[in-house]
Amino acid sequence: MHERDADIVIIGSGAGGGTVAAALAPLAAQGVRIVVLEAGPKLRPGDFTGREVEMARRLYTDEGGFLTEDRSMSIAFGRAYGGSTVVYTGTSLTISEQTVARWDVPGLEHADLIARSHKYLSQNRVHLLPDADINDNNRLFEAGCRRLGYRVEQFPLNLDGCRGAGLCNLGCPNGAKMGTHRVQLPEAERQGVTVVTNCRVDRIEERSVVARVAEAAIGDPSPWPPGEYRLRTKTVVAAGGAIGSPALLLRSPVAAGLPALGRYFTCHPALILVAQHDRPITNYQGHPKSFYSDHFAESDGFLLETCMYFPFTTAKSLTGFGGEHARMMSAMDRLQMILVLAIDPPDAENRVMAGADGRPVVRYRLGEPVRRSLVQAMRASARIFFAAGAARVHAPAARTFFVEAADAPRLDELIPFDGLTPGKVTISSAHPMGGCRMGAAPAGSVTDAWGRVHGAPWLFVADGSLFPRCAEINPYVTIMALADRVAERVRLDWPHLQAHPS
Amino acid sequence: MPARSSAIAPDAALCSNTQVAALTAPERTLLLAIAPRIVPPAAGLTPETREAMLALIDGTLASRTPAMRRQFRLFLRALRWLPALRYLRPLDRLDGSQQDAALRWFQDHPVQLLRGGFWGVRALVLLGYYGQPAHHASIGYAPSADGNAVLHARARR
Repeated sequence: MHERDADIVIIGSGAGGGTVAAALAPLAAQGVRIVVLEAGPKLRPGDFTGREVEMARRLYTDEGGFLTEDRSMSIAFGRAYGGSTVVYTGTSLTISEQTVARWDVPGLEHADLIARSHKYLSQNRVHLLPDADINDNNRLFEAGCRRLGYRVEQFPLNLDGCRGAGLCNLGCPNGAKMGTHRVQLPEAERQGVTVVTNCRVDRIEERSVVARVAEAAIGDPSPWPPGEYRLRTKTVVAAGGAIGSPALLLRSPVAAGLPALGRYFTCHPALILVAQHDRPITNYQGHPKSFYSDHFAESDGFLLETCMYFPFTTAKSLTGFGGEHARMMSAMDRLQMILVLAIDPPDAENRVMAGADGRPVVRYRLGEPVRRSLVQAMRASARIFFAAGAARVHAPAARTFFVEAADAPRLDELIPFDGLTPGKVTISSAHPMGGCRMGAAPAGSVTDAWGRVHGAPWLFVADGSLFPRCAEINPYVTIMALADRVAERVRLDWPHLQAHPS
Repeated sequence: MPARSSAIAPDAALCSNTQVAALTAPERTLLLAIAPRIVPPAAGLTPETREAMLALIDGTLASRTPAMRRQFRLFLRALRWLPALRYLRPLDRLDGSQQDAALRWFQDHPVQLLRGGFWGVRALVLLGYYGQPAHHASIGYAPSADGNAVLHARARR
């Protein structure tokens, strides 16, 4: 086993780890040895081919199809230089005051999160797309919502040089998305931070990390040769995401004093709704996610967002098989899509665990309120589709494969609550949250309001696993804001942390 | 950044880096037998696209844990033989409408394990077919790295 020394080790390079790396980079310029360990590869510009299966294999854990323990839901999360920021759509919303109040973390103020969020909105060049770059898939959503009186907003996006490839979730082939791979990590590296890719961390011990670097199958080789490493350090920041970080801590001795570790996992369970128009529309040309509606967030517990997916993902999202399924799929250029996301409540039994082989296992039960929200969301989406002129809609819980426009008045009857059958309907998630929730005491939380793990002042968490409840919006800006707080805490604690002998 | 074509090109070598290791010959036979029931256009697969389909499925299975591969194998056996209780023949020896009925029985089964197993097999077949860029033109999917140019050109028309 190779032995190495560092001062600060950051595990993960996405919205959390990439932010911490950049925020601490001035310390590196002063000689502090900062190392980022990233499980995924660092792709070269030409590696972003836009081909669905190929890119899913390169950029996602389990090709984007990581399954929950009972196989009823798949969770998509990235593994690459830049983590999931390489594969998100760049939607940049800030957390609401009500949500932070619901989080109820002593010492965590909404105003502080917003101030930090704005720093990253600026750093990531967040703006609204000009009208000319809005495609029909998005225009129709907006028009449908407005006709029905539903509140609808344009997404602020972190793009620079977007050419509307529509392939955000496969990694932008034009390099236009301002994720940590484009903004924070390069800046951190310029200041002396080392990013070790293809490096999987096995466990965290008392001020040390055990990891393995693999041969790069694609992209740049890792700066460290393949092999096993023990990295002695003074501080560790776990930022492997809401599945990776809880599982890593559970594999580590620190887990013994943390009864809430892995628990209260939430994920905005989602469905992809698809409608067919009688004419071609622009859908896969242009940015795929320009509008959203939170009209039903408080009343019915769901959000609606525009989306446009690729052939396999679309096919998988439709319920059923055979002729009707193929007919829907044969009209990709006439499809309009809406992503519905349920605002799921925290539940201690929904949890990340470490399996016998150490891999993460997610136990998640889709509760009755969430099921009802998803069915209500299907009905609302169908209304929007029809208000926008769709000829027919596929709702996964509907009694029939197609709901025709003529049947629009009967949506409540045609999309029944008991139609949402786990294991039959494709339910997915791309917003894993919780598992290392912040709070005041170890009985119900894992870290304090600054991401410092209870009972281990040298160990921090800086990713979506910190969320005590779900974010109720797309979470990456909030993850960056929290990671910024963690970095500040590390800087403030550094005189004490560095005094500890390795 | 170097200039490059804006079209997202199909890649004939898509599956070249996957190791064909997970699927046995009988499993390949079963998957090919049910593929046209799940994706009717799969009845027209060429030898090349048939192999590409199996390679895509195989590559995905190969990337999963041994435990998951074992479960998949076990479910494929159930998928093949449980219909024999009703039809006295395994799934791949049934006619099309009987296969459809059997697959629907799995899809709607009250036991989540059987529903979920079928969901997994269905997903793999869909992956094998729609994951092939060679099939994208026929379903009206033609992305471009410069989608905005297409968008703006249509707006001018």
